Amino acid sequence: MQPLVVPGNLESLQAIRDYVMAAAAEAGLDRRKTNRLRLAVDEITTNSIVHGYDEAGLEGDLRVEAQLDDQRLTILIEDRGAAYDATQHRIPSFEELTAPLDSREIGGLGIFLTLKGMDDFRYERVGNRNRNIFIMNRGTE
Amino acid sequence: MAFDVSLEMTKNGVAKITLAGELDANVAGEFRDKVDEAAQKGAKRLVLLMADLEYMASAGLRSLIFAKQKMGADVDIYVIAAQDPVMDTMEMTGFHHSVIMRDEYDAEIENI
Repeated sequence: MQPLVVPGNLESLQAIRDYVMAAAAEAGLDRRKTNRLRLAVDEITTNSIVHGYDEAGLEGDLRVEAQLDDQRLTILIEDRGAAYDATQHRIPSFEELTAPLDSREIGGLGIFLTLKGMDDFRYERVGNRNRNIFIMNRGTE
Repeated sequence: MAFDVSLEMTKNGVAKITLAGELDANVAGEFRDKVDEAAQKGAKRLVLLMADLEYMASAGLRSLIFAKQKMGADVDIYVIAAQDPVMDTMEMTGFHHSVIMRDEYDAEIENI
């Protein structure tokens, strides 16, 4: 699919989700995988905007590209924000995920949902760019 | 569909918040403001009407934690008519154990 380039701010999240939904439809992903892909991309992109751009005092774009082959749909997202590797982030433990809400920590949920929901998720730092790679196999489970 | 949130307080202190559209990090503050308003008005129970909510990111989950911490551990949170994507997000993170899930709204919920 033609890549999508949007400003690195939270108003862009909707356009990115719409692009991902179109790619998932083209790939023929089932509803569950479609939802999990949309969620993963939304969570990681939110982190890129909030931590990579806003909190680092940086501005830039997000480039989103869907690549389709016989086996899988790959979504590549690149930004020029501060280096941020979601795969190295601490995720909530089982105990934390089953704790009462009023005693819960608020961090790590988005990354947990990404790692749990995707068939594969990878991070690369290429020059001054972060590249997040989301992979869903096209066959239904 | 654009995000929309509205709050209604019943006479006996039940806060009913209706959510529609897509709840992401960009609009979660609007939801949090309504939760805050309900807490200020002394909500004893929180009912979230989600039939028209198509999507919820973790920013929505954090708003639920915020609600519980703001209103107190003894204030029950009801989630009504959550669609599959929202349900899946809540189940993956264990939130379905911490709220009361219902398929439909029942006026009984307003009896405290």
